[in-house]
Amino acid sequence: MAEEKYNRKNPAVKRILQELKEMQSNPSDDFMSLPLEENIFEWQFAIRGPRDTEFGGGIYHGRIQLPAEYPFKPPAFMLLTPNGRFETQTKICLSISNHHPEHWQPSWSVRTALVALIAFMPTNPDGALGSLDYKKEERRTLAVKSREAAPKFGNAERQKLIDEIHQYMLSKAPPIPDSPQQTSDENSSTREDQQLEGESPNADVAPVIERQPNPEANDRVVHDLREVHLNANAGPVRVSFRAGVSVSRRVPNAEDANQPSWRNNNTRAPKPADDRLFTWAAIGLTIAIVVLLLKKFLKSSGHDTVSMGGF
Amino acid sequence: MQNPEQQVAEDEQDTADSNRLPTIDDWANIKDCDIMQQQSAIQAEEAHKLPYVGDKEPLSVLEVEYQSGSPILQKKIKTLSEGFAFVRRTRGDGNCFFRCFMFSYLEHVLELQDKTEVERMKGKVEECRKTLQNLGYVDFTFEDFFALYLDQLESVIQGTEASISQDELVTKCRDQSISDYVVMFFRFVTSGEIKKRSEFYEPFILGLSNCTVDQFCKTSVEPMGEESDHVHITALSDALGVPIRVMYLDRSSCDSGVGVNHHDFLPGAADLQQGSDSGSSAVKPYITLLYRPGHYDILYSK
Repeated sequence: MAEEKYNRKNPAVKRILQELKEMQSNPSDDFMSLPLEENIFEWQFAIRGPRDTEFGGGIYHGRIQLPAEYPFKPPAFMLLTPNGRFETQTKICLSISNHHPEHWQPSWSVRTALVALIAFMPTNPDGALGSLDYKKEERRTLAVKSREAAPKFGNAERQKLIDEIHQYMLSKAPPIPDSPQQTSDENSSTREDQQLEGESPNADVAPVIERQPNPEANDRVVHDLREVHLNANAGPVRVSFRAGVSVSRRVPNAEDANQPSWRNNNTRAPKPADDRLFTWAAIGLTIAIVVLLLKKFLKSSGHDTVSMGGF
Repeated sequence: MQNPEQQVAEDEQDTADSNRLPTIDDWANIKDCDIMQQQSAIQAEEAHKLPYVGDKEPLSVLEVEYQSGSPILQKKIKTLSEGFAFVRRTRGDGNCFFRCFMFSYLEHVLELQDKTEVERMKGKVEECRKTLQNLGYVDFTFEDFFALYLDQLESVIQGTEASISQDELVTKCRDQSISDYVVMFFRFVTSGEIKKRSEFYEPFILGLSNCTVDQFCKTSVEPMGEESDHVHITALSDALGVPIRVMYLDRSSCDSGVGVNHHDFLPGAADLQQGSDSGSSAVKPYITLLYRPGHYDILYSK
């Protein structure tokens, strides 16, 4: 095992081993990351594309290089899976934000950085180096493709690790809601099931964020998430995309409009107890809304869908 | 520093650097990582000029430095030399206050062999640990820094295998893998203290940088290389219960002649103002720092 090869007194090694231990004891559904056995300063990771975005369901692999001065110097992140947001094999600068240059802090960790990277994906690249601004459809296609196979990279040992991570992520990440069976029939029970299904992983987001070492880092992540949601709902691009994949248009759109509000409540709540309360309140509210919408939808007897064709 | 694993990591770094970002052709395209890179290049250059903690030098080096400088400063240096004999410079890398504090404090404990002080400090360190935990910091993000500081604290007390001499203390404080860790420990402690008593620090922080307490800690306390201000000093002094005196060598003067202003940061002083009891806070500072705008060095009394 890697641990025996390294000088445990070296502070960087000590820290990295601790992060590894923490990562293994608190696994996340949203990402997975492990060091190479031959070099503990080289990690492989995969993140799940943020849900409710064009990356949703995608599995994006990448590598992390930890500097010898870690945790004083930031880790470098590179993606290996084509994704339409970041160039592959190019260092991503996670320390940037549009407003304040965010310095890397030793109280952050690989975990914090991965969470930030996920939150970063749907943000506007603004022409930053190493960023790509593909159309949503192209990103969605890449997201679907990303699940088929893990990228080929490095030697056999690294490839084995990549494949292992891919299997894990496949087992954790629900398939992309692109398939026809989801949109085929719309009776009330399946709608509710889907709603709950979509919700339980979301409810997991709060505890995951809770475990983040730096409370400030959370703020930023949460802030980014909020932006992401606003963007997703603001433009007609989103709606037209939705129209492309789903038969029933009104229901999902209405859901989208409601989702950010409860999710914000959820992530903003500072204490775990509040989280739970908000989550349950949100679940109740969403179910009520869905039922109401379905009622309305059924009343208008489904012939109405033609009127939405304008998108 | 030449451990094999670091070598490996450095090699990795090199290969990564070779396929790095293209050269900068447009200022608008400069990202923070480019700036950080340039910054670290400047820091590396600076490193050759002065170790983290310099040698003990007679105060006359200051006179030489300001030979052709402002007469006010020259007068003040003369005044200073009445009370102080030596100065020990630290590297101006933004961590100088913490570095001064580290060396000055450990040197003080080493000279006095003050075991009760070590025990008192250990208690404070535990309080700080709890503060951070209560604030939601994950243990592994600060544990190493705490452990390393406690090691240094133990090592200055003689009579154990780990004991070190004064010369070794200098060497350790110049060793990045120790020095930076201890500085970071102080940054954690400072940040924790400010956040814990945010209602007290808020007005000072607002006056200083017009941002929230959390933002301030995030941008001006926790990152390495961010300079310290009176907020940092107050917080660190309070959190660890160590009084600090700062002598100000600036160009201010008053009618009654040129005196050297100083300020004592006394732990618990804020509590006293609020009327609450804080016991034996009237300690005379044994750490004296020389402040010149933008930089701190260590002073030694006669």
